[in-house]
Amino acid sequence: MCRRRKYLLLHFSLQVRFTMNLDRSFYVPAKSILHSLNPLTKLTLVFALISFAFFSFPWMAPVLILPVFIMGFVGKVQKQYLNVFAKLILPAIGFMFIMQSLFLPGGETLVFKFSIFDIYTETIRTAFLTVSRIFVMISSFTLLLLTTHPSELMSDLTGRGLPGQFAYVIISTLQIIPQMQAKAQTIIAAQRSRGLDTQSTFRKRVGALVPLVGPLVFGSLVEVEERAIAIEARGFTSNRTKTSLYEIPDSSFDKALRWVLVLLVIISIVSRIWLS
Amino acid sequence: MEILTQNLVYFIVVIAIMVLLFVWAYITKRMQKDFSTTTWVLIPVAIAINLTIGQIVLVLKLPVYLDSIGTVLVGVICGPWAGALTGALSNIIAGMILDPGWFPWFPVAAAIGATAGVMANIGYFKNWWKVVVTGFVIAVVATIVGTPIAIVVYGGISASGSSIITAFLLETGRSLLASVLTTNFIAEPLDKIATSLLAFAIIDGLSARYLSRFPRGENAAVEKGQKTTQLVIALVVVVLLILFGIFVLPSITGG
Repeated sequence: MCRRRKYLLLHFSLQVRFTMNLDRSFYVPAKSILHSLNPLTKLTLVFALISFAFFSFPWMAPVLILPVFIMGFVGKVQKQYLNVFAKLILPAIGFMFIMQSLFLPGGETLVFKFSIFDIYTETIRTAFLTVSRIFVMISSFTLLLLTTHPSELMSDLTGRGLPGQFAYVIISTLQIIPQMQAKAQTIIAAQRSRGLDTQSTFRKRVGALVPLVGPLVFGSLVEVEERAIAIEARGFTSNRTKTSLYEIPDSSFDKALRWVLVLLVIISIVSRIWLS
Repeated sequence: MEILTQNLVYFIVVIAIMVLLFVWAYITKRMQKDFSTTTWVLIPVAIAINLTIGQIVLVLKLPVYLDSIGTVLVGVICGPWAGALTGALSNIIAGMILDPGWFPWFPVAAAIGATAGVMANIGYFKNWWKVVVTGFVIAVVATIVGTPIAIVVYGGISASGSSIITAFLLETGRSLLASVLTTNFIAEPLDKIATSLLAFAIIDGLSARYLSRFPRGENAAVEKGQKTTQLVIALVVVVLLILFGIFVLPSITGG
């Protein structure tokens, strides 16, 4: 019972970022320029990079590839970033690049023929553009997540007027997921030991879905009611402004950088529309 | 350039309609009514259900994703706005802990939750055959929302297994739009109907007392006197509609 109460308290306190252990997030603690920037500034930077890659001139996306890599080194997260790049980004964009250069329609200049596949210069160019856009988008998000703790971002956004409920949803989801995954592992092991077949024919595997999903879902839904009463008793729906335990620094450099980025985004989009 | 401005106009119109809907629901207090404390507590659990069941399905090696059961559940018992929020946050959180490639798909997940909520509001989540229809409608909406994202962001062929079908269709000489639409139309209904049926099975197992805690709990009141024939007819009709769609879609979108 005591443990349950502690768990509920953890759920409700949104500012416990230094005490709780979120082993499922990408965050890597370090001291760097990227880590010390305000979370909102980093978010603006991510959206600015995405906007440059997608809505500005087509040459922008390939040009941005190198700066994004350098940003990983500036943020001192190059090891983790390269790890994510090798495991998640490279396989995805590699597959996309090969498939798109082989199959996208609309090519004219034939580069070479390989059995049934015709490869054209234009298709390769389109595929490369798409892939570099995806690279910039996913990499900048990855860098944001590597250098910003989720609850730091949520605290900052809550301080700027985002309803506290959103912060509650995101932070408590990040806590519930590891628990629920552990529960799922237990259920899979328990049902297997009772003789549930999870590996043979298709029909048996479909049949295994309900005995695995059922206990997991009902078990976690039962807790909802209790938790709702508990956080209601702690003033969850109160409209008063909540005070924050941690101050997140927002320097004048951050503010200036945000305005510069917004201005650059507007200039890049307007010039693209104007010049084309 | 002309294509660009044309698409931009569509984009602005769609955004404007959504903003108007949002403002209307906010001013008439329809939205606030759905976001009670129980809703806010259910949303994190639903997101965790989405992601965990996605992993169980990977263990079982089934050809579906089933990563929106929680979204459909919230949409049905807490209303379309809560469903949409669950879907969107579900993808954002999957992007935060699994793979940032999930971020761009959040409008699809939001549309799935909203559609489930709207269908439940008009009473289409009360017995098995109606749930099959709901699943099909969700799949159609997911296709309509997902296709532009697949084309604009990923250039048509994304890094998922179903893009092999897209590649095959492109090789048979169809246009990019037709190929992506057809691929989604083949892949989505199976997944979304299975998702809706599982969500319905879960709701069926919850007590009426528990459901009454949620703002739209009455949407999930299961009807008496269900017949297997109705379910079979609904499934057959849906399969026919999918086959019909696969042959008709390319000619609508111009080859």
